[in-house]
Amino acid sequence: MSRLAVSRARPQEAPQETVNGAESGRVFELWRYREVLFAFIVRHVKVRYKQAAIGIGWSVLQPLFASLLFALFLGRFAHIGSEGVPYFVFALAGMVLWTFFAASVSSSAESLIRDAAMVRKVYFPRTILPLSAVGAALVDVPAALLVLFGSVLITGGRPSIYWLLVPLPLLLVMLAATSIGMIAAALNVYYRDVRHALPFVLQVLLFASPVVYSLDVVPGRWRGLYEAFNPMAAAIEDMRRLVLHGTQPDWLSNLVALGWLAILVVAGVTVFKALEKDFADRL
Amino acid sequence: MNSIEFDHVTKTYRGAEGYRSLRDDVADRFRRRTRKPGSRSAIHALNDVNLEVPVGQALALIGDNGAGKSTALKIISRITYPTSGRVTVRGRVGALIEVGTGLHQELTGRENVNLYGRILGFSGRDIRRRFDEIVDFAGIGAAIDQPVKQYSSGMELRLGFAIAAHLEPDILIVDEAISVGDAGFQYRCVERMSKLVREGRTLLFVTHNLAAVEALCDRTILLASGEIKMDGEPRRVIHEYLRKVHADVTERAGSQVILGPGIEIHEVTLHDSVGRSVTSIRPGDPLTVRIRFRTTAELDSPQFSIGISDPTLGMLTMASMLLDGEDLGRVSGDTWVEVSFDGLPFKPRAYDVVGDVRQNFGRIVDLQRLARFQVEDDAILNGTGTNVVTRSMRGAPVHLPYRWRYPGRESSEDVIVSELIASNE
Repeated sequence: MSRLAVSRARPQEAPQETVNGAESGRVFELWRYREVLFAFIVRHVKVRYKQAAIGIGWSVLQPLFASLLFALFLGRFAHIGSEGVPYFVFALAGMVLWTFFAASVSSSAESLIRDAAMVRKVYFPRTILPLSAVGAALVDVPAALLVLFGSVLITGGRPSIYWLLVPLPLLLVMLAATSIGMIAAALNVYYRDVRHALPFVLQVLLFASPVVYSLDVVPGRWRGLYEAFNPMAAAIEDMRRLVLHGTQPDWLSNLVALGWLAILVVAGVTVFKALEKDFADRL
Repeated sequence: MNSIEFDHVTKTYRGAEGYRSLRDDVADRFRRRTRKPGSRSAIHALNDVNLEVPVGQALALIGDNGAGKSTALKIISRITYPTSGRVTVRGRVGALIEVGTGLHQELTGRENVNLYGRILGFSGRDIRRRFDEIVDFAGIGAAIDQPVKQYSSGMELRLGFAIAAHLEPDILIVDEAISVGDAGFQYRCVERMSKLVREGRTLLFVTHNLAAVEALCDRTILLASGEIKMDGEPRRVIHEYLRKVHADVTERAGSQVILGPGIEIHEVTLHDSVGRSVTSIRPGDPLTVRIRFRTTAELDSPQFSIGISDPTLGMLTMASMLLDGEDLGRVSGDTWVEVSFDGLPFKPRAYDVVGDVRQNFGRIVDLQRLARFQVEDDAILNGTGTNVVTRSMRGAPVHLPYRWRYPGRESSEDVIVSELIASNE
């Protein structure tokens, strides 16, 4: 195939000085490249549903079917507690967040390999690739949220002013997905083992998070620890309080989760930046 | 002011190791205690390179495959990092890097133009304004709304170049990419490049197309094994490079015994007019080919044919005993045969001496290369024509004297006479 690529190191006014050295770390250029990030997100969404007949409908169907299955097997047959609301809605509140998280992480993990051709040919901040994967997954969330809100109303729930706080749990999940996704993406370049291990890890995380069960089933003395180390727990708990029960979130556990996530984000960026130098040579 | 500065730049690739699994690296970590560090073969793609490219210079990097040319371009365009040292680049870089693209296969041409436009730093409005120009230059018409995966490779290449051609880079980097396009496309690329050069932009050109280098560039660097071997005026560097390439092939053509039924050719040597053994001559010089051979039994009337051929163009001249009605009569034991060409009107490059041996109209030694020699001529460096070095060393090999006449150049002293450039004055 005879093709060619185009690159431009600086999108701003010339002449600007760029240094490419062994020691020179790259400062955050994301802001300058924000339009590129946006273009990548748009591209992502387009490509994802390009040849799919029901397109964006999949983003709703996935959590919906999963919740139906859980409602049937866990709610109806196994009688798992659901905090006094129909099990289906209970599970859906968790699944909406979980689907977003899992889609973000697995898409991020593949993002560098998927666009290896571009990484080898054009310069742009590499962080854009995992970030745009998360951004593209976020695009699916509003539709899923609408289905959740509708389900709550249909099953006899009532709208609440706290529904407006839904962006808070979304932010927690986004931070978690971004940092884990960046680490997975960077490692995946070096070790394709990540690709095989990730579905398994995600499955473990699904059951380590209160998606199909209530946070109440975690024994009291472990609960603090559980919530502190699993940011998904705080997010899902927020979601249930806000949407299902119409109450305030637990501010303290949110604060703890945010602190923990801040560390995770720093770790994610550090790992990514450290491995970034060899991406073009290793892909 | 300099557009580009290389400050002790080294780029090393670890030896070929392919895909590694986590297991390999963990295993290595334990093993490393017993092994010396750096035992894995490392490839120096660039080795302590220092280089300054002033603004507005048209610089070509030439050299064999693997010399480090593409690596240098990739470091300038920030696709890869140097292992040590640093590169400073002033201004926007537009680059056509290598064959193979970043164009996204699932997206349409239009969507790709948008995505690339963004990466290259254009706003949505800028992209829309240039959109028609880009489609026009690429010449893909309605296909712009089809996914790129349905494009022919030529269409994709043209679209890629069209996007790059419509930026206004301060530094334009062109790798071998354009050489895969058709002739018309290459012409437009070179045209575009020379326009940018005329506008005073910096050009960095990596190619094996030496004629284009000689025509476009005002400086040429010869890279070999990641180091700058020569840096200067294009025709001098190209001349030196081609001379070296020819010398290498001449040297590699080692002599070995050639066997046929009843005959062993032991040695083929080349000699100048006074009998000295040579491997290179000047244009117009005489050349004698001497063959020493041995017969294993008495051989009756062997006939030799000895010719000179250009490795790519084929046979240029042939001295044939068959046509001349000559033969060696009865021969036995160690003996020899010689042919002298009075003057070879050849341009500078490497040539093959080929030959065969016949007996009773059947070949006992098949036509094959017997030796190689080089015609060298430093005088072409003083030639005045365009691309004189590349054309002399790569174009038509045989030079016959000729004259040009045209209205205004009719009288005998005005006539433009071309003789073989070599002059021993």
